[in-house]
Amino acid sequence: MKRILRNITILSLSVLGFSSVLTSCDKTIDEPQRVGYVPANVDEKAGTWKTYILTAPTDVTVATPASVTSTEYQAELTDLKSKSASLTREQQEAVVYWGAGAVYRWNEIARELAARYNVPPASTPDGKYPVPDASNPLADPRFPFANPPYTARALAYLSVAQYDALVSAWHYKYKFRRSAPSKIDGAVRVALPVSALPTYPSEDAVVAAASYTVLKAMFPGEGPFLDAKLAEHRNSRLWAGMNVASDLAAGASLGNQVAASVMARARTDGMSAANNQALTTDMIAAAKARGLSEIWVSQEIPARPPMLPNYGAVTPWNFDKATVARLRPGPPPALTSPEFAKALDELKTINRNQTREQARIANYWADGAGSYTPPGHWNRTAANAAHEARFSEIRMARTLALVGTTLMDAGVCCWETKFYYYFPRPQQFGIKTSVGLPNFPSYTSGHSTFSAAAATVLGYVFPDRATEFWGKAQEASDSRVYGLIHYRFDCEAGLTCGKNIGNYAIARGKSDGSGF
Amino acid sequence: MKRNFYVGLLLLVSSIARAQMPNDAIYMPRKSVCIAGLYGRSTWTRYWEGTLSRDNLNIGRHTTQSIMLMPAIGVTDRFNIILSLPYVWTETSAGNLMGQKGFQDLAGWLKYKLVDVKGFSVNGLAGASMPVSNYVPDFLPMSIGLQARTVTGRLLLNYTHPRTGLYVTTHGSYNWRSNIRIDRDGYQANDRVYNTNEVSVPNAIDAGVRLGVLRKTWQTEVWAERFACTSGDNIRRNDMPFPTNRMEATSIGWYGKFQPRHVGVNARIGYVTNGLNVGQSTSYSVGLLYQLNF
Repeated sequence: MKRILRNITILSLSVLGFSSVLTSCDKTIDEPQRVGYVPANVDEKAGTWKTYILTAPTDVTVATPASVTSTEYQAELTDLKSKSASLTREQQEAVVYWGAGAVYRWNEIARELAARYNVPPASTPDGKYPVPDASNPLADPRFPFANPPYTARALAYLSVAQYDALVSAWHYKYKFRRSAPSKIDGAVRVALPVSALPTYPSEDAVVAAASYTVLKAMFPGEGPFLDAKLAEHRNSRLWAGMNVASDLAAGASLGNQVAASVMARARTDGMSAANNQALTTDMIAAAKARGLSEIWVSQEIPARPPMLPNYGAVTPWNFDKATVARLRPGPPPALTSPEFAKALDELKTINRNQTREQARIANYWADGAGSYTPPGHWNRTAANAAHEARFSEIRMARTLALVGTTLMDAGVCCWETKFYYYFPRPQQFGIKTSVGLPNFPSYTSGHSTFSAAAATVLGYVFPDRATEFWGKAQEASDSRVYGLIHYRFDCEAGLTCGKNIGNYAIARGKSDGSGF
Repeated sequence: MKRNFYVGLLLLVSSIARAQMPNDAIYMPRKSVCIAGLYGRSTWTRYWEGTLSRDNLNIGRHTTQSIMLMPAIGVTDRFNIILSLPYVWTETSAGNLMGQKGFQDLAGWLKYKLVDVKGFSVNGLAGASMPVSNYVPDFLPMSIGLQARTVTGRLLLNYTHPRTGLYVTTHGSYNWRSNIRIDRDGYQANDRVYNTNEVSVPNAIDAGVRLGVLRKTWQTEVWAERFACTSGDNIRRNDMPFPTNRMEATSIGWYGKFQPRHVGVNARIGYVTNGLNVGQSTSYSVGLLYQLNF
């Protein structure tokens, strides 16, 4: 018996010793937490800033609010005090979550949906790839396939709707100048910082309604998920003591009206023809006529039709369709040229001996299937930068609209270029990949174009960080060489083109009346 | 984009580790060391995407190979230390995913015979492993491992009939697996996006039962094993696997050893009969054993 006890003791000590190998058995994931702030500037003149779709902030209507001395308003205050007096833990968490920022959170939600839907359809046993069906979004394959062009467009419309709606909201806020409930009645208990911004209509309700409408159109299978987010966001404003019910109702109405106008553009921007596979025959013939001896072919088994071959014909934001062709880079090196041989040699060398640092960079920027894509990556970068700079809701929306529209412009231009040249991928010359191979032509690099456009715009919004953002764009561009799916010249041409695209968005930003 | 895949290699590697010592009631005598050099190969063409059994034409046949050095050290007649270090490489027969290669995880086991009465023994084992190289853990199914540090507690019961050497062994274990860091700073798992590079790898249980004969110079057994994560998510439809996946597998196989003197050989074959988020792999390993007495 004594020996058994001793044995058990030895075993226990051994287990403890091994346990120390682990620094921790803690399974919780630490994520950076974003919390609310009083904006550095409430941007009270923003009601005059130039909108994208609205011709004027008064295109949409907002009812004149009841006076704060009216019995209706006093009844709303009483209701607000009861709702905000004491919160459950769950309510407190909702308040903190949404308090980080309406634009910030709805963009985060959009990225999550993009990631959730960024999976290409599986092939059927007869070797076909079924096309996702918007009218049956939850069937296999689910609609949409939120690939980079799709996600770029979804985020662009989201940020444009948010921005236009907020410009209009700012106009009405300063027209009606209804103060925050807690400034009218000191007994209202608030759970978030209160700024000098008038609260009718509620900017949170405006953003929530506009975002909800756009995202439900872009991700039609997510109705229940979005319903829950919308309801929680609205309620969080009551729980936080930040808005009375009429602030929220007016905001929701305004947001819905603006989103309806914005989505009217979406229905006619050419996206419905972006997957017109019939056009590829002529595209291939044209590329061959220009001297291309070996065209891009899908490397998947069975061969998958290319991703959105006609996305290059979708209407851009910051320039017209004629400019798309003018922005197209010159041709890639001929397949028989020494330049091409040199570029392929660089890939062969990496293929033989990829360094861990090259793999790290390739992985960091991969943003492939199951991710929120490169446009999502830059949307996140922009939102975080705006949050760190304590931007007001409207200045954050402006930032994301400038970045979001330039990202979609970059997608349009890059896709136009890809299907114009129809250039083969390195995998057609025996190169493997450490990140997965996108199913469309090589020249130019989408990552490079997206990243350069976004980094150029972010450098304009945050001049102190311009070098940092450009460094990220350069790394994102290099990552596609390290991941072995692009030639160096794909990336260099993409970077240059993306920079030119970004400058159009900057020109718009400089003339939008913001004074920035 | 090519996607879809899986990881059978985890199971492969752990099963190689089991092929020698941490799943039997055999002890190296005091002041002796048995060094095993093992070669293992595991292949699959079908895998479970969640519960869906499928193939993937962009992978064809997935192969994981390894060579491993594995010393078992007799500290006392009833206390052994077992170490292992595999070098692993992966490849596919179709598609264009780059194979990965490298030293994987150093593992160590302490094995102690707690009770030994009339052919019946109760054995306690404690194991731990840690990665020894900075391999990429989330390029699945090509990654050579998951980068998680692990701690395992195992109870192993054995009855060996003293005259015939006929034995039955059974074990159950709990595997704690640490969170890992990936190269990306955002990823999707559990149907949401995590804005961090930290990834939770689920803990797991495993159990096995083996029936065989152990003689002085040889051993033969049939075995069945079960490995199952205690949490985790499924591979999304037509997407890549990820370290958060809930992997499960039931395997059956045979193991044999022949060691007339100091030098010996062993061999093991295994087949996954059922699983979740894993490849339906067929695996084998062969080993050269060398015993040193001090």
